[in-house]
Amino acid sequence: MSRLALRWEGRAVEAEIELRGSHAVLTRGGRRIEAEVRRVDDWVEIRSGDRIARCGAVATPRGVWVALEGRAYLLERVPRDAAALDGAPTTDEIRAPMTGRVVAVAARAGEAVREGDLLLTIEAMKMEFRLTAPEDGAIAEVLCAQGDRVELGQLLVKLRPGASTGGAPAGGPSA
Amino acid sequence: MSPLVTAALSDLAASRAPFRKVLVANRGEIAVRIFRTLREMAIPSVAVTSEADRGSLHARSADESVMIGPAAAAGSYLNAPRIVEAARGVGADAIHPGYGFLSERAAFARECREAGIVFIGPSPESMERLGDKASARRTAIRLGIPVVPGVEGVATAERARAEAERIGYPVLLKAVGGGGGRGMRSASSAEELTAAFEGARRESETAFGDARLFLEKRIDPARHVEVQILADGNDAIALGERECSLQRRYQKIIEESPSTAVNAKTREAMERAAVALARDAKYSGAGTVEFLLGPDGSFYFLEVNARLQVEHPVTEARLGLDLVRAQIEIAAGGGLPRVPRPAGHAIEARLNAENPYSGFLPQTGKVLLLEWPAGDGVRIDAGIGQGGTVHVHYDSLLAKVIAHGRDREEARARLVAALKRVTLLGVTTNQSFLIDLLEDGAFRSGETYTGTIESREWPAPESIPDEAILAAAVALASRRAAREGEREDADRYSPWHALGGWGRSPAGARA
Repeated sequence: MSRLALRWEGRAVEAEIELRGSHAVLTRGGRRIEAEVRRVDDWVEIRSGDRIARCGAVATPRGVWVALEGRAYLLERVPRDAAALDGAPTTDEIRAPMTGRVVAVAARAGEAVREGDLLLTIEAMKMEFRLTAPEDGAIAEVLCAQGDRVELGQLLVKLRPGASTGGAPAGGPSA
Repeated sequence: MSPLVTAALSDLAASRAPFRKVLVANRGEIAVRIFRTLREMAIPSVAVTSEADRGSLHARSADESVMIGPAAAAGSYLNAPRIVEAARGVGADAIHPGYGFLSERAAFARECREAGIVFIGPSPESMERLGDKASARRTAIRLGIPVVPGVEGVATAERARAEAERIGYPVLLKAVGGGGGRGMRSASSAEELTAAFEGARRESETAFGDARLFLEKRIDPARHVEVQILADGNDAIALGERECSLQRRYQKIIEESPSTAVNAKTREAMERAAVALARDAKYSGAGTVEFLLGPDGSFYFLEVNARLQVEHPVTEARLGLDLVRAQIEIAAGGGLPRVPRPAGHAIEARLNAENPYSGFLPQTGKVLLLEWPAGDGVRIDAGIGQGGTVHVHYDSLLAKVIAHGRDREEARARLVAALKRVTLLGVTTNQSFLIDLLEDGAFRSGETYTGTIESREWPAPESIPDEAILAAAVALASRRAAREGEREDADRYSPWHALGGWGRSPAGARA
């Protein structure tokens, strides 16, 4: 029996899995599913009862992509020592949601912002995207300038969540 | 065979092929699609590529390809002199511009003409007359075609309020220099208009360096309906409408024909208007005349797209007519095709590299696994293959999935089934969102408006099915088996937290 721990859309995904040859048993959230599995290249065929599912499944260093009935899921690997990071995502770091170019910066260090205020605008693929403050607070630091090319995930603005509202962290999708 | 007969036959063959060689000044799905028709017409084809697109599907779909510049489109796909030079270099006597990039630049069409190369599209003169929104609007008014009531060049908030009183609320403020929704604001009252005016002006100035605004009546709820035309410089024909109301960020995502909201009388009136505009401009080639359709059934001319449209396969599916072939034949002086009677219903869905549950943010990456469905009445126009890379430099359209059926429900069901059988891994796409949209009650009942998508929440799936986790486990187990001997166990990113059954126990794994 193995315990599989991954993350999907910011949420922890855990299951216990037993694989013996083509026989698989999955235990998750109190459910137990037995299935026959067969892998051919990047495809996994799963037979459970009279149901047959054919999934595309590709493992990468980042995680594993799975396609099932018109939906694609990216299950990401979770660093083992990052358990403390699980739960509510930090809201004080505004990161680039995609690779692109900063076309305008509205945020200024030290200034107070309200939830929804425009911080900066990024352009990618001929479209503009507005990054806004996820909650009330103050701009701690601006780490990019107009015209900069930014990479996916790059830290752009640090936001100190609003002291005026008691600094309660915003609840994001939790584990 | 006598030499005379052979010579006569080869003359005949030469006269049948409209061009010696055609260069396609585009990339992605539309380039691939044009190459298909060129192959069917036995015309040798040439692709141009940026550095980032070397070895891409579109480059491989042509007989030859020329690298024309860097990844950024400004130096490659928008580099008109370089493209003309490439065409000369390979001996191409015609250029097909596709859509976007240089397709609507009159200056490019002129450069082609001066270089003795046929531009497969309208003349620069008619492009200038119809391509400019303001001048096309004036032409429409002159021809008695209804336009959205509005006024150009509103300089102050006071003037905007006065005009809004005259036209009636709600109104829309638009950037004169812009498009794509930038510099656009809506107002339902005089109070809202003051703030909207300042906002629109600021945004227009920032985005286009031009703060001039256009104020018009907001048609609400509105449908976006467009008429396909073909013209040969003298005559013009209309090929029915496409409804393209379903949009996000002012970009179409699902298109269909016929529209559920257009009756025979409206269709005839729209087609008549479209043909009148084309004839007036001595238009040549394929084009699209866009209209807004109001809730009371009245329509208003919006603009002319002087090129092939992304959603042209919807029309092709109903007519059994190849619009690219028609464009090529018209450009070669072959005249207009005979128009077949439309049959059934067709719907297109645009598969984009974007995250539908996160503001439709564009996504990049490498396509790791790709499988397209096949089936009755289904057509896939793809611009990427397995192993292909989605770059940040270009738009996010990966493929169009088009379904044709005897009626709307058959086309819809076929499209949903096809989308469910698409497997594309490695880049996040809007695949599941398209399925949800096509399965939604609003779409099923034909209640499709320009605001439909953005007026509602489209929730992301709440949970991940057990089968997907099982498949993930199998893929990860195989990867681990393949990497046996490597120090995977020490990998802090290993998803396996305790091992039994098969494999080894990782050192330091948590119980």
